[in-house]
Amino acid sequence: METLDLHCQLMLEEYREVLPVLESMKTEVLAQLDKVLGDSGLVVTAIEARVKTEQSLAGKLALKGSKYATLSDVTDLVGARIITYYTYDVDRIASMAEKIFEIDWANSVDKRRLHQLDSFGYNSLHYICRLPGYDYRFELQLRTTLQHAWAAINHDTGYKSGIEIPREYMRRMNRLAGMLEMADDEFSRIRTELTDYRRRVQTLVKSGKLDDVLLDGDTFNSYLQAGRLNTLNKRIAAINQAEIMNTPLTGYLSILKALNCHTLGDVDRLIKRYEDDAYLLARHQLGNTDLDIISSAIGLQNICIVCILSTGGGKIGLERLFDALNEQNQQNAVLAELTYNQASALPFMQNFKS
Amino acid sequence: MKTTITTTENQVIAKFTGRLDTAAAVTVAEEVKPLFEVIGKEIILDCSELEYISSSGLRIFLSIRKEAAAHSSKVIVRSINADIRQVFVMTGFISLFEIQ
Repeated sequence: METLDLHCQLMLEEYREVLPVLESMKTEVLAQLDKVLGDSGLVVTAIEARVKTEQSLAGKLALKGSKYATLSDVTDLVGARIITYYTYDVDRIASMAEKIFEIDWANSVDKRRLHQLDSFGYNSLHYICRLPGYDYRFELQLRTTLQHAWAAINHDTGYKSGIEIPREYMRRMNRLAGMLEMADDEFSRIRTELTDYRRRVQTLVKSGKLDDVLLDGDTFNSYLQAGRLNTLNKRIAAINQAEIMNTPLTGYLSILKALNCHTLGDVDRLIKRYEDDAYLLARHQLGNTDLDIISSAIGLQNICIVCILSTGGGKIGLERLFDALNEQNQQNAVLAELTYNQASALPFMQNFKS
Repeated sequence: MKTTITTTENQVIAKFTGRLDTAAAVTVAEEVKPLFEVIGKEIILDCSELEYISSSGLRIFLSIRKEAAAHSSKVIVRSINADIRQVFVMTGFISLFEIQ
């Protein structure tokens, strides 16, 4: 490394003295970003921060030391970076940063807006910020995962190394930047459309237009969130004053489809048709036990059992149900037999008794 | 009621022998605490000699499963008898556990 002039050497000396302050600022910046993101519920790919190394600072001063009157003019002594999933998250986090940090607008730059209509390349939002109580500013970089991938690879392959990059290479990198920009936009569009779809489904579920909603993982979740099974579960819990443990019901999706449920309307009719018998089955099974903990799956499980038995599925049908709920196991046949025998005492089975 | 925990390279096996009823559950809850520290391994709940399980026993199994999920471990309930399997069905937990 070339020798630094006296001015730069003094700045480097100051850097060494204030290094603990910079470390403290880094920790505080990270803590504030963590908190604001945690409070917002926004999930990001990564939050990272670093204090510029002495070697990196010396390199910077060697290149453009005369640009800085004092060390505090170097705005990236502390750098923080948030990498998001979606482009619009960059703007959301920028807005949060504006509320918790003082932004030096004159030195902040939105690289995304610097490109000409026909140019592509580095995309990132850089805010120069100030944290109350600190003399030094820090740089906050906000970018998407794809923008980060491009920047990291571009950096790795020579940018800033001082080596002149061949035009053809630059053209290919910029071509990739354009492609990734399109991919970022498409990811954001998919996310937005999915969110709209979920809202539409929730509206249809709330308004009871369930026949208009095809049964899939998303729509089934919306249906469950509307609490359509809560009444039955609470009735069953009341048998033994049991606690209800929330458990995932995603495993029932394929079972419901096998029971010819193609829309949420089909699921709703299935529940309405069989919920009383499902309750009676639970009462028959739990009533003479002291089991005071049940799964939130119990209502739907019993509805499936009653549906299978009421439609003539018999022991084989129950065995297939238990195979689907758990892995295939020889004991499932025993379980099917036991459940069938218990259900045989109930009114809905009177037509199927052998 | 007896609980034995053995550890192999990829698995931690807790073997339950006897009746896991409300009275035994207090002791068993203490005995299975080492399972809460297991990270990234299979936790086998060997029930081949478990005769009975109460709600308190189910709660212990649920807490083991919850801690395991938080520590990237997987819980497998192994060799339960038909009566205990029936308890898992009656309470709706049959779909929550991997039962072998």
